[in-house]
Amino acid sequence: MKKLLTAILSVMLALILSFGMTACGGDPGEESTDKDGNTIVKIMFHVDKSATEGQAYQKRINAFNAAYKDKKIKAQAVFKARTAGASGYETELLNNQIEGTLADIVTFDAPNTAAYAKSGLLYDISNLISSEDQAKFYSLNKYDGKLYGLPIQESSAGFFYNKKIFNQAGINVSGYTAENPWTFEQFKAVCAQLKSHCTPVDMRIDAVKDETAPYLLYSFIHAAGGSFTDSTGYVANGYYNSAETAKGFQFIKDLITAGYTSYEIGATDFFTGKVGMYLSSGWTIPDLDNKYKEHFKNRDEWGLLPYPKDAIAASATGSWSYAITNNHHTDKTAIVELLKWMTSAESSKAITDATGMIPARKDVENTYAVGTPEYTLLKQLELSGKERPVTVAYPTFSTTFNQVITGLKTSEVSTLLAAATNTLQLEMDKLQNLHG
Amino acid sequence: MLNTTLIILAIFIIAFAGFAIYDLATAKRRKEVYRVKSSLTAYLMLLPAIVLAFLFIMLPILYSLGYAFTDYYLLKPNDINFIWFDNFKAFFSELATKGTLYHAIKNTIVFVVGVVPLQIGTALLLSLFVNRPGIGSKIFKVCFFAPVVISLSVTSFLWLQILAPGENGLLNSLLGIFGVAPHDWLRDPNTAMPCIIVLSAWQGCGYQMLIFLSGLSNIRKELYEAASLDGANGWRKFWLVTWPGLRSTFVYIIITVFIGACRILTQPMLMTGYQDHTVTLSYYMYQQGYTFRWVGQSSAVALIMTIFIGAITLIQRRVFREKK
Repeated sequence: MKKLLTAILSVMLALILSFGMTACGGDPGEESTDKDGNTIVKIMFHVDKSATEGQAYQKRINAFNAAYKDKKIKAQAVFKARTAGASGYETELLNNQIEGTLADIVTFDAPNTAAYAKSGLLYDISNLISSEDQAKFYSLNKYDGKLYGLPIQESSAGFFYNKKIFNQAGINVSGYTAENPWTFEQFKAVCAQLKSHCTPVDMRIDAVKDETAPYLLYSFIHAAGGSFTDSTGYVANGYYNSAETAKGFQFIKDLITAGYTSYEIGATDFFTGKVGMYLSSGWTIPDLDNKYKEHFKNRDEWGLLPYPKDAIAASATGSWSYAITNNHHTDKTAIVELLKWMTSAESSKAITDATGMIPARKDVENTYAVGTPEYTLLKQLELSGKERPVTVAYPTFSTTFNQVITGLKTSEVSTLLAAATNTLQLEMDKLQNLHG
Repeated sequence: MLNTTLIILAIFIIAFAGFAIYDLATAKRRKEVYRVKSSLTAYLMLLPAIVLAFLFIMLPILYSLGYAFTDYYLLKPNDINFIWFDNFKAFFSELATKGTLYHAIKNTIVFVVGVVPLQIGTALLLSLFVNRPGIGSKIFKVCFFAPVVISLSVTSFLWLQILAPGENGLLNSLLGIFGVAPHDWLRDPNTAMPCIIVLSAWQGCGYQMLIFLSGLSNIRKELYEAASLDGANGWRKFWLVTWPGLRSTFVYIIITVFIGACRILTQPMLMTGYQDHTVTLSYYMYQQGYTFRWVGQSSAVALIMTIFIGAITLIQRRVFREKK
């Protein structure tokens, strides 16, 4: 009995190991035309259909279907709301890829461009979008010289500040604008003046469980003259652990050491008047306008300052984008039509009107008055926007960045960067071997 | 994926049919009475459990076992190659660099060594406490068991409030009454893991308390009466009557708590994120497979972990086995 059992189990295991790895094909996917002869183009979004952003996407899809009725092209929207972080949405994307049911167009977070492009998930659209059209966008999802995606909208961040506290402390920051940003030293000087009145600044150094801290803080490293990887995205050694990069992190560490910021600041401390400045993106504007009326009656009581500069001026950019996938539909003509529609000036305005973010296109008419928070974010994006590192190992970069930020309180910057560089380089080497 | 699953299912059905035929052949050879109808009924009754076990236990295990020997990268699901033992070599190479994997193993050991005695000891004390007749024993039973029915995510967030840094944290504000300065419990490498150990023991001990209670109810009252007549005090009664009576219960509890402790993931993930001072082997495995997309390497870690847990469990069974 024992021998038979062993034999059966061995055969089972051998067969599974032999067949399992070669039979991962999948179904060819759904037909691309419906019974009325319409070419169906599927597009997958990362938000819930009932959300304001989701509704805006659906409206643009409906408008597309009306406009392309005669051309027999019909867009179908699929909404898969991302859960905590974006990993749930990515899982859905990859499951669809495995099953062969990948939508024709998908939305994706900009830092994933390199990994998705390298793995063949995204379709090269360099020749489908004219250089004239490409020039209309503030940023493009490029990897290895090829275009893989177009942004839905843009984002930038800055320091929201409490004007009441600034007035009490006798601080005048009217001269610090996106065109003329303040310096690291001036930033520290303002913090020093604020310290006797409140906690000077919430740098969001506690937001290390997801992409928040990397997104908001990476530009300090660029401002100090540092970087994270070389242009290929496969070399971190000599960049992530360079003296300039260390200087950027040291600036953040100095703020912690001097007591200007800390990990202990509560999530609503700025909104309730306990903190003078708050580093955040444009999505905080609606909160300040509507949710915290008790502490900020109107826009006269708060303002937005740009990122401080050092060696250069640098600020956060990047948001979600559209990409055509490398799915089973080889004829991309109708798909490109939908992509162009969704990234048109009209769509860009409709989406950003719903989200409050910055339009991805330069030709979208904006009515931002000089000096308003929206104007500061837009100008900063134009003048100093720097994208996050373009590397296939982005998840590892993000993880190590969070580890460095957490370690700043207790460890030396050089020690932290040595460990982070080692981890990232190891991952990059592995990926280079995988991709050949 | 579907094709692979169907192939595995077909092999599984063939194997199952093989067992049934062998069963029939053995019965015939031994000239035993073998009723096909009643056997078929038995197999049919087994079927739902077997299907569920196949889908949710066997299939993931077999996939994981297979992937451990491949270079499966999540973004390249259609380009999977056998690399034999390369993932295992990479595991030990990374361990030698004393990087995150080293910390993950170290932290898992610290957690297991800390939580197993603390959780079992607390559960035993609580069970002895509520086992005594008294008005409040039922209320205490409910109170001590309550954390078990609350999800780990909820308890983790609850403890995040308790351990919040600064003066607003519940623990810090309590300690502040005695003049103790606020402490960042979860960011300090010296206090983060002990905090997670205490939270986990608190959350889990109610379940073990119930199992100990069922063990206590099986100990005959006469044994305590006889011990009393012999002049045994409370400690002697516990050592000579209660403890031997709970031995088999204890073995079960130590094995299950040990296995559960080795798999710790939720608490560090929700309370500190992926940090060297709290990362555990399961969290490392999750991060490798899910965030960094190395499914093959993650599966190899899972296999190593399974072998390790299995080996320790066998040793535990041997150490704690009943002596004849």
